[in-house]
Amino acid sequence: MLSQAMIEDVLAAALETGGDFADVFVEDKTSTSISMIGGGVDAALTGRDYGIGIRVISGLFAVYAYSNDLRRENLIKIARSAAQAIRGTQRDLTLDLRTVSLNHAHPIQIVPASVTKAKKIELMRRAHLAAKSYDPLISQTSISYKDEDQKVLIANSDGLFIEDRRIRTRLYVEAVATLGREKQVGTSSPGAHQGFEFLENLDIEKHARIAAHTAKTMVGAEFAPSGKIPVIIDNEFGGVIFHEACGHGLEATSVAKKVSVFSDKVGELVASPLVTAIDDGTIQNAWGSSTIDDEGTPTQRNVLIENGVLKGYLIDKLGGKRMGMESTGSARRESYKFAPTSRMNNTYIAAGTSTPEEIIANTEYALYAKYLGGGSVNTATGDFNFVVREGYIVKNGKIEKPVRGATLIGKGIDVLQKIDMVGNNLGFGQGMCGSISGSIPADVGQPMIRVSEITVGGRKGD
Amino acid sequence: MTIERNRLKEIVFAKGAEYGFGDMEIYYQADRATSVRIFKGDIDAFNIVERAGLSFRGEYKGTMGTAFTEKLDEESIDQLLQAARENAEVTQSEEKTELFAGSESYQKVSNFSQQLIDTDSQAIISTALAMEKAALDADPRIEMLNSCALVWSNSELLIVNTKGLDCHTASTMAVSQLSAMAKEHGAVATAYDSGFTSRSLDDLNVSDFADRVGRDAAAKLGAQTVESDNYEIIFRNNAMSTLLQTYSPIFSGANAEKGLSVLQGRLGEQVAGQNITMIDDAHLPGAPGSVPFDSEGVATGRNEVIKDGQLVTFLHHLKSAKKAGVEPTGNGFKAGYRGDLTISPNNLYIEPGDRSLDELIAGTKRGILIIELQGMHAGSDMVSGNFSLSALGHLIEDGKVVRPVDQITVSGNILSVLQNVEAIGNDLRFQGSGRGACGSPSLKINSLSISGK
Repeated sequence: MLSQAMIEDVLAAALETGGDFADVFVEDKTSTSISMIGGGVDAALTGRDYGIGIRVISGLFAVYAYSNDLRRENLIKIARSAAQAIRGTQRDLTLDLRTVSLNHAHPIQIVPASVTKAKKIELMRRAHLAAKSYDPLISQTSISYKDEDQKVLIANSDGLFIEDRRIRTRLYVEAVATLGREKQVGTSSPGAHQGFEFLENLDIEKHARIAAHTAKTMVGAEFAPSGKIPVIIDNEFGGVIFHEACGHGLEATSVAKKVSVFSDKVGELVASPLVTAIDDGTIQNAWGSSTIDDEGTPTQRNVLIENGVLKGYLIDKLGGKRMGMESTGSARRESYKFAPTSRMNNTYIAAGTSTPEEIIANTEYALYAKYLGGGSVNTATGDFNFVVREGYIVKNGKIEKPVRGATLIGKGIDVLQKIDMVGNNLGFGQGMCGSISGSIPADVGQPMIRVSEITVGGRKGD
Repeated sequence: MTIERNRLKEIVFAKGAEYGFGDMEIYYQADRATSVRIFKGDIDAFNIVERAGLSFRGEYKGTMGTAFTEKLDEESIDQLLQAARENAEVTQSEEKTELFAGSESYQKVSNFSQQLIDTDSQAIISTALAMEKAALDADPRIEMLNSCALVWSNSELLIVNTKGLDCHTASTMAVSQLSAMAKEHGAVATAYDSGFTSRSLDDLNVSDFADRVGRDAAAKLGAQTVESDNYEIIFRNNAMSTLLQTYSPIFSGANAEKGLSVLQGRLGEQVAGQNITMIDDAHLPGAPGSVPFDSEGVATGRNEVIKDGQLVTFLHHLKSAKKAGVEPTGNGFKAGYRGDLTISPNNLYIEPGDRSLDELIAGTKRGILIIELQGMHAGSDMVSGNFSLSALGHLIEDGKVVRPVDQITVSGNILSVLQNVEAIGNDLRFQGSGRGACGSPSLKINSLSISGK
């Protein structure tokens, strides 16, 4: 992408004023997105992102500059203007970049660019047909296809020079059910750090049926009750509860500045002893995986909580400096337009021993959240919220009826402590996680869990 | 070799003709920005940004094809045109997109300030430091700021096509962002807000702004939930702006046509109370989304979207206007060269009334003043209009604020909120920066469902 000699010059310019560390992130990414509404292709967009991010660190102070004018004289100029913000003492510096060749851990068989758009559209049409024909109540479908091919070059003043290529593909299925004036939406959106073979091998009709089933079931459902009640959260995307409620609070971004409720708590019991939670960027071809992180550190499997005890955090280089700890391979960013920071890859609660049937059968009364939607969290207070996309009431050990419009709110650490059953059906779901270094692909996961009490916001009686 | 900006047009259009395109358009945007983040009296991060990119669309065999690139050399232009042609070949939209030849006239919008461009980074740093200090001084319980940042930018936009459109504008802005954290007896509360100006750093009034955010955070300490029930609700201006912004896609003509809006088929109907008038004004002085033309080059203007509760118009880009058989409203929107063309308000706001927030509170017997809403995207449904959102605020009893409230969700429907506005504040305020920002005064709603304990 850029020559080693040129990168050496840029790093040297960045450290001219005495910075301790400098790195560059060069990115060349092509992406394709196609959207289909009601079975017809509505739009197709192809794009190319291209630029460089240059970072200089002095103590705990970081300067970040980016540009997409990659001419040599401009890069030197930008590196110098970044350096101007550092007031250090100039040192003698010898840069000796050593190229590391990457052993790519996530095999790609079919590069999406080699597949015709017609073939991609064929898959989308299958999703449309399966969703539309699922039930007469399904009034509209919206299908999107996305692929991206990101080539990165990461180099730093410690001598690293490494290149990686990340290919991701994803299909979004959305179905709308209409009953009178009432409309409800159901979605399913599988994705992977994999080539087009991921979608070729995918049971597309299954995902279309999941989306249509949610829409159809919810459009006829009554409103969920309100108040503090037990909640059963199913597997796969249900893991967003851990991601939002705890994962963000374990990122160095908030831990290092002691903004997080989990700061200074390693070794303490922070969750029910039934809970073991892991963030693993090495799961082969998973949506949130990559071979190296966006600072060039190999990703790893990080145990965050083991049998309820806090074991560790997710750490990037700068956060690690502040905390006196090593990077956990967790530095991520949306693109060269963002300085890297500690983020999650694929975060999940490990499987327990109960079967899902046992959990339901042993529950007197609860909201059963079959599918959750997105949510958000305030890492300082631990307050989280997310929506239930498909919910049911469980009564006397049986699923009684569907309910809609429920939101779950609470504090992450409370929920962790109130998990009283953990299922054996670990599964993963795909999402886009937004935070200060942009929007990045991340897997969430868990088996079915039961929480003894969560505040459910519903609308019953409205 | 990177192509110079003033040669882009001729090179792209000449090559485009070779690729078989008929009418063609380029959308070129270049931004420069500097931002500084403060943490505990020191600069924590300093960012320098410069970027430029080009998006192309061209008519190929009757269909429009689109692609963008940030790499601006000849080889990349070839790839761009090839991709756009491929995209045209697969798009089957029934409605033909046509490029726009230009509006008769464009109103000048005052969102450019040389003074702001000339501000040096030392002035920005000292303003940011003053902002941190004012927030810390707002209340002794403010322990630190989770984030304290100033962003200062200027941007240039060029839209040119082969049908004669030639639009060019430059704008500047500065944005303040603050998140304060208060602590007392082990309880933690935070408050976040942002400020905007297109004129000068002084306009941000960082001391007042920071003082308000700091006091907001401290006032949340000791918050508890309430009994689940129906309550009178006041959405403070910032919370109501957030709610309106979240629901702004329901005013999109394209969404309405596709069945993706609760307002589908409601044009001309009474969709809100008679006391509600909602305006999208692209020329509102000092508002964050002011712009002379939209992303298709259509002149922007002032549109009453809801007049005395009646839905007067949807917001349109060229394609949705044509489909609906109306004039475009200047609401075609691209989030830069990377984005798809969608529909977005410019400055959408609810017309203010004459009551102060204190008067709204005094007129409330048993209610909740909502000052913050969370989980907007996930908890709001555009098709049904239903929302269920995590909220923070203060309990009101007999006209007085008695204590802070958290761990509640407020749920309802956007249209029934607008149909049940009992009183309207005089404190119109915009939330956010850039196009698509929305504004509202504080609104008092008869009754909404709150779930707590």
